[in-house]
Amino acid sequence: MSLWYLLLLPLIGAASIFICKSSVSKWIALVTSTVVFVMSLLMAVQFNHWGNSSYGFVSHVSWLNAQGITLDVGVDSVALLLVLLTTLLTPLCVWGSFSAITKRKREYYAWLLILETAMLGVFSAQDLILFYVCFELTLVPMFFLIAIYGGSNRSHASIKFFIYTFTGSLFTLAGFVYVAWQYQVSQYGTWSFAIHDLTLFAATLSPPEQSWILLALLAGFAVKIPVFPVHTWLPLAHTEAPTAGSVILAGVLLKLGTFGVYRFVLPMVPEAVVAYAPAIAILSIIGILYAALICWVQDDVKKLVAYSSVSHLGFCVLGLIALNPVGLEGAVLYMLNHGLSTGALFFLIGMMYERYHTRDMNAIGGLAKKMPVWSFFMVFFVLASVGLPGLNGFISEFLCLMGTFIASSSNEVWPGVLGPEYAAIAAVGMVLAAMYLLIMVGKVVFGALKEPDRDKEHQILPNDLSPREIGILAPLAALCLWIGVQPTLFTDAMQGSVENVLSPYPRIVEQEQNESEAQQKQTWQIKVKEEQHG
Amino acid sequence: MNASLLIISKIVAMPAVPVEDVLQGVDVSWAGFILWMPLISLVLCGLCAAFKVKTKAPAIITVICLATSFVLTCLLWQSYDKPETIHLFDWLQVHWADGSFIANFSLYIDSLTLLWMLFVTGLGTLIALYASEYMEHDVGKGYTRFFAGVSVFLFAMSCLVMADNLLILYLGWEGVGFASYWLIGYFYQRPSAVAAAKKAFIVNRIGDVGLALAIYLIWSTFGTVQYDQLTTVLDADQFQSSSGGWTVHAIPYLLMLAAFGKSAQLPLYVWLPDAMEGPTPVSALIHAATMVTAGVYLMIRTYPLFMLDEYALDVVAWVGGLTALLAATIAMAQYDIKRIMAYSTVSQLGYMFLGLGVLSSFGAAYHVFTHAFFKAVLFLTCGAIMHGFAGQLDLRRLSGLRKMKGWKIVSYTMLIGCLALVGFPFTSGYFSKDAILAEAFITQGVGFEFLGWLALFTAGLTAYYTFRVWFRVCAGPVEYEPGDELHGQSASSFHPHAPRFAINFVLVVIALGAILAALPYFIPNETEGITGGWVADMVSDSPGHQGVQKVIQGDDHHAHLLGMPVHTAMYFISAIVGFIGIGFALYFHLFRRSAADKLRSRLLAHRSTRWLPTAMEQKWYVDEVYIALIRSPLWILGKFFSLFDKYIIDGAIVNGIAAIPKTVAKWFSPLHNGAVQSYAVSMVGGAILIIALMLLFLLLKDPTIVQSTIQMDHSEQVIATVGGGQ
Repeated sequence: MSLWYLLLLPLIGAASIFICKSSVSKWIALVTSTVVFVMSLLMAVQFNHWGNSSYGFVSHVSWLNAQGITLDVGVDSVALLLVLLTTLLTPLCVWGSFSAITKRKREYYAWLLILETAMLGVFSAQDLILFYVCFELTLVPMFFLIAIYGGSNRSHASIKFFIYTFTGSLFTLAGFVYVAWQYQVSQYGTWSFAIHDLTLFAATLSPPEQSWILLALLAGFAVKIPVFPVHTWLPLAHTEAPTAGSVILAGVLLKLGTFGVYRFVLPMVPEAVVAYAPAIAILSIIGILYAALICWVQDDVKKLVAYSSVSHLGFCVLGLIALNPVGLEGAVLYMLNHGLSTGALFFLIGMMYERYHTRDMNAIGGLAKKMPVWSFFMVFFVLASVGLPGLNGFISEFLCLMGTFIASSSNEVWPGVLGPEYAAIAAVGMVLAAMYLLIMVGKVVFGALKEPDRDKEHQILPNDLSPREIGILAPLAALCLWIGVQPTLFTDAMQGSVENVLSPYPRIVEQEQNESEAQQKQTWQIKVKEEQHG
Repeated sequence: MNASLLIISKIVAMPAVPVEDVLQGVDVSWAGFILWMPLISLVLCGLCAAFKVKTKAPAIITVICLATSFVLTCLLWQSYDKPETIHLFDWLQVHWADGSFIANFSLYIDSLTLLWMLFVTGLGTLIALYASEYMEHDVGKGYTRFFAGVSVFLFAMSCLVMADNLLILYLGWEGVGFASYWLIGYFYQRPSAVAAAKKAFIVNRIGDVGLALAIYLIWSTFGTVQYDQLTTVLDADQFQSSSGGWTVHAIPYLLMLAAFGKSAQLPLYVWLPDAMEGPTPVSALIHAATMVTAGVYLMIRTYPLFMLDEYALDVVAWVGGLTALLAATIAMAQYDIKRIMAYSTVSQLGYMFLGLGVLSSFGAAYHVFTHAFFKAVLFLTCGAIMHGFAGQLDLRRLSGLRKMKGWKIVSYTMLIGCLALVGFPFTSGYFSKDAILAEAFITQGVGFEFLGWLALFTAGLTAYYTFRVWFRVCAGPVEYEPGDELHGQSASSFHPHAPRFAINFVLVVIALGAILAALPYFIPNETEGITGGWVADMVSDSPGHQGVQKVIQGDDHHAHLLGMPVHTAMYFISAIVGFIGIGFALYFHLFRRSAADKLRSRLLAHRSTRWLPTAMEQKWYVDEVYIALIRSPLWILGKFFSLFDKYIIDGAIVNGIAAIPKTVAKWFSPLHNGAVQSYAVSMVGGAILIIALMLLFLLLKDPTIVQSTIQMDHSEQVIATVGGGQ
């Protein structure tokens, strides 16, 4: 079994959609993406590197030999988990679009399938250029999904989304090319873009160079995650995107940023990460609190959930730069969990929107009376998102914060540069999350029934959820529960990869500490001397 | 039944049990079923909901499951001889090369756990039975949802109490918070219920954050979150409070935050009175008997950690004492009997924390135990009244219940509850409260003696407000007005419907429990060197008691008060104080009811005294202060951030940067004006510019062109000087 089946099958599906009639396009998309999902599941079963750091399903395909660019693919345990998330969410998105998309169906489903290929390409690329191509390729389908099928302000949103993230990732490309160029210099003219080679090489660069590379890489990834203050494209894109677009955007596309940090930033430029971690952490914490407070005053449910992503991913970034296994495993789990629970929340909002054509919390309320099943799922996923123990969100939030908390310089095994004060401030986000999400639930689900007129286009939809819609939400709910009850399966699965990424850090952090201590001593001695002289 | 259960548990639970964890001798791995029974009940209730069952089936299922749980707890208690751990399954583990963070789904059974589980499952069963009748209006509507919520609560509470590590405790901790959210918001179409549910969850969340941070600190300081290992580490005396730095001192305060949130103490008590929006059985079970005592449990469980900071226990005592007083003053001026009971709960919880603070973990635990019974019976009688009088809870609109047909049981069980709450001599509350009060005079601490007198004064207030309720509602002439939940009846044709079998049965059983809760005090101690009977035995091997033993040695245990040993003196003083309180209530609320109104209006008429009744009736404006100081500023900040995001970050910065290319393009666009002459000029200009730039770059890149000339001059100079020297 090769990853190429996963990558090419959606493309074949997309191509065949254009041959067939428009009415069968959705079925082609559903069947294709489901087959891809089943194949990825089979691969997960076959994968024999769970728990260690090796790559599986590696295949070499040469592309531009002179520049050392290849089409190599392969996945480690973390990437495979994200591949599974992608292949799971895509068929659900296709299925979820059955009733919502009534015009230009062919293009829609074709774009969704192309998007799947691009996302899978990002997670499985073993070559920097292939990674970058796929990274950028995700923008194109998403651009059209928003621009054609979005809300009233869709063209502005899609252009902003495209240009903003594209501009950011150009810097990332520049960073990649710089590393590759330096590599070429050190190898006397032999180019390579293999991630493995360049990662090992970049870690040997001088600290100032590493800092510049870090900034270049983060320029792209931070926009994608998004980290405060480069997050403003997200609420706009989310509110305007069609449901499936929002789900993919929140579920997978944001993870491209955190995955980029995990795969490139952490192993490539460890010294710079140690130097910049406090600054990144402070930005994340500002993001957590700032976005949470903004969520509180939103009237638009979708915008609220969009901002909550900014807040939530702050925890994820904290876990990433905690530089210990607890935080990093928490962060990777956070990527999965956020994809599941926030994805589901966007589905739910979409289902409400299809019926009432409004997302304004002042216009709609008390739906528990009218839509009990919908309300059940809404409360369930809100609780997963709030971080109720027993569901998935808790595990990752707890681990990320714990990782941050213990990442102090006094930690003997995994010294870090953050510490209790960072975690304590970020933990306020837990209270705020409960606040804005429960207020949202209190308005939309509970209270007296406030119901705008039903949307005329979608009169066929029943009052409460149809079996199809339950079929979309139930697997997500089951997964949320499963991860919440058996998180050790996941933490054990990614242990090797995570430790591999972290292996250089304890030494570097200690070095840094010794240096700063020596420096302090020096300045202190100078001061003492000056005083003596004075 | 025991045997069959053993077989079932072997099939279900054994694969997960490592050999070394299975006890030699008595196999108690079936204890997991105490936890699973409520979960099974939840699943069955879920099925009932899915198949839209419109009978009382959910209640029957829940009662049976909870009763099984209770029976199993009793069996476990019978076979108990020493603390043990039961491993159910691996929960959260993070491994790395030379270490790991482990929090398994395991149970830790010691006598403290058993003490709590006995009344949690016992009262849980009884109150579920009560609710089967109480909630019958909602059969087919919210009935299933209600019992599913009760099942969730009991599962979470069992996790909290039976956990073998702090993370499972945290799971239960948030779980009971969620169950309480679920049940307070049961009448979800009522905005006040939704708001109360939300408030409860959010205020509790503040405490939860404290607990989470405490867990991080405990793990990073002691390297474990399991109780047994934690005790070992602490017993080894490696951790003197001086050695751990500030982190060690922070642990008790963070745990306090958690305990004060869940157990409704200052400054986080505000959610509990509002929680009365839930159905009354919920108030009785969750917000009086069990969940709110979780903070006390947490403190007894982690008592040695409170020794790490010298002022931690003093703070606990003061917070407890002040909460008790504040809540009692508020309770005196309320008219809603359920709210009075709610404030009374806050006040009694304050006593428990006072007990913990003055090193009486036994007193606190005993008061938890007795309070669970008498407060449950008080709430359940309130519920019966509310149920029978169409939601009427105003004590001014109810009177003389004990003379009405069918209300005798309610009236007299309420009287039993009231007497125990007041601490009437020889009731259960008398002994448990005295254990705390006496200790306040014995233990040395910052202002403990003052706290003791304050608590005695509060006991007087308690006596007054408790009997204010009973004399108003149950005594006096028969008078009543129905409430507003008439279900289609008209107010004039209203007849109160007296409780039937299930409610009366439960009331009698729990009232008996409230009376009998005094007995454990007299059952002789098995452990040597302690007094206080069976409950003292149950907490004697808990961390709470052991922690006390370390400190208490220096204290004078034969302190005297008014020329008598403190405990003896307390028997008299607290009885007298209680009688005075009851006497006031008797005068103002039975003999001369008009006198109370007169007193109030006289206080209101005077400018200097007006604040007192107003502030007490308005609950000292604590909610308003919180809204003004915390909620509103944060909301305004949120609004400001929202605008800041829109106009500054997105508007000015992002769009500003995006506008740069456009602006730059505008500067150059006049060049493309279509006139050939201007193109020619710009071509020549451009060519000159390019040549100039090339020259500049050449100079910059190869400064040797310039430098060589300089060097030449320089070398000539050198030669000249050298030559000159010669």
